[in-house]
Amino acid sequence: MTFSNPLIETRAHVRLSAALTGFSIALAVLASAAHIADPRLLDGVPVWAKPFKFSVSFAALFATFLWLENRLSQSWRNGWVVTITISVMAICFAAEMSYIFYQAGLAEASHFNTSTPFHTFMYQVVMFLGALTLIVGIAVYGAAAALDKNADLPPGIRQGVIWGFGLSFLLTLIVAGYMGANESNHVGIPGPGTGKIPVAGWSLSGGDLRPAHFLALHAMQVLPVIGWLADRYKPRRAQRFVILAALGYSLLTMGVFAAALSAS
Amino acid sequence: MPLDQIFSLSGSLAMLGWIILVLAPRRWAWLNAVPRLVIPFALSLVYAGFILAYFAESGGGYGSLEEVRQLFSLEELMLAGWVHYLAFDLMIGAVLADRMDTVGMQRTVQAPILFMTFMFGPVGVLLAFVTEGTLRLLPRHLAKA
Repeated sequence: MTFSNPLIETRAHVRLSAALTGFSIALAVLASAAHIADPRLLDGVPVWAKPFKFSVSFAALFATFLWLENRLSQSWRNGWVVTITISVMAICFAAEMSYIFYQAGLAEASHFNTSTPFHTFMYQVVMFLGALTLIVGIAVYGAAAALDKNADLPPGIRQGVIWGFGLSFLLTLIVAGYMGANESNHVGIPGPGTGKIPVAGWSLSGGDLRPAHFLALHAMQVLPVIGWLADRYKPRRAQRFVILAALGYSLLTMGVFAAALSAS
Repeated sequence: MPLDQIFSLSGSLAMLGWIILVLAPRRWAWLNAVPRLVIPFALSLVYAGFILAYFAESGGGYGSLEEVRQLFSLEELMLAGWVHYLAFDLMIGAVLADRMDTVGMQRTVQAPILFMTFMFGPVGVLLAFVTEGTLRLLPRHLAKA
């Protein structure tokens, strides 16, 4: 066993986004292990399903950041904008996931839980500010991609990042904002025996706001991939193609959102 | 010394080791040796004393849950079992910390993982292994700061 660690002084740290990607995957593994051992349900759903889904979603978020950081020029990659943004997001991530795991352990709701002053504070202040900060952070990364002229981003991918990250921020603000004001992730109450989509657990009988929330949040992965495809197969019209795709994706998200709302 | 006093003393000792492991700089070999060597050694002495003195008397064993329950029915052995946790969790925490240092993980990310190792041993091991494993699997140039 090493008593002094020469590697610390000589070896550079990994990127924070890399460490957070690993940590998020680790949380998903933890939630899976708990899921196998724990038969408890919350609103008819296994208690560890939510921590699992949030862990996977955070892993996708931080992995996307890691990918983008490596495309940015040196001065942006290690500049204060990225450093401060990812650090603040790490704190929000820690707060959100600690509470989600803690509440899952108690088989109690984390979001929309206003049963006691503590739970109200955690949901309406900590979780709210955390989520808001996280999506603002996504917008900041998108802005960095737009402003960094020396970024290693082909036109289509750059448009994909700008629109994808921008839409993740904007659409999530709308959908999750409505969910928060609605005080539930469902409009109306799903009846007993409601069909559920595996893993996601979304209700098939309508009124479920979570599919729209999912689409909104993950525009930041979908549109850069579309941008990459556009650069590859439609190099001359890549940017226009991505913008059209962004509009289509927005319509799809808002359509799914509207469908949920109309089920009430 | 009453068992309760040994219990709280062992706990304080382990706590000291964890504080050093999580919060202290890793610059000085003598300080690193405290949670890695000195405290686990001291706790192992306590464990060894109790287990050798009381194992036979308990009439328990390792063969079934019932035998283990029999083992722990003796207060001295319950204490020994607890000290076993303290000693091994701290040592494992030290091993995990060194491994996480090796892949270049920030101390701020290590902290919650080590805290979970302190609270729930194997939960921290899972977190540390998967986080470290992801960083090892990522292409080097991608993860590098």
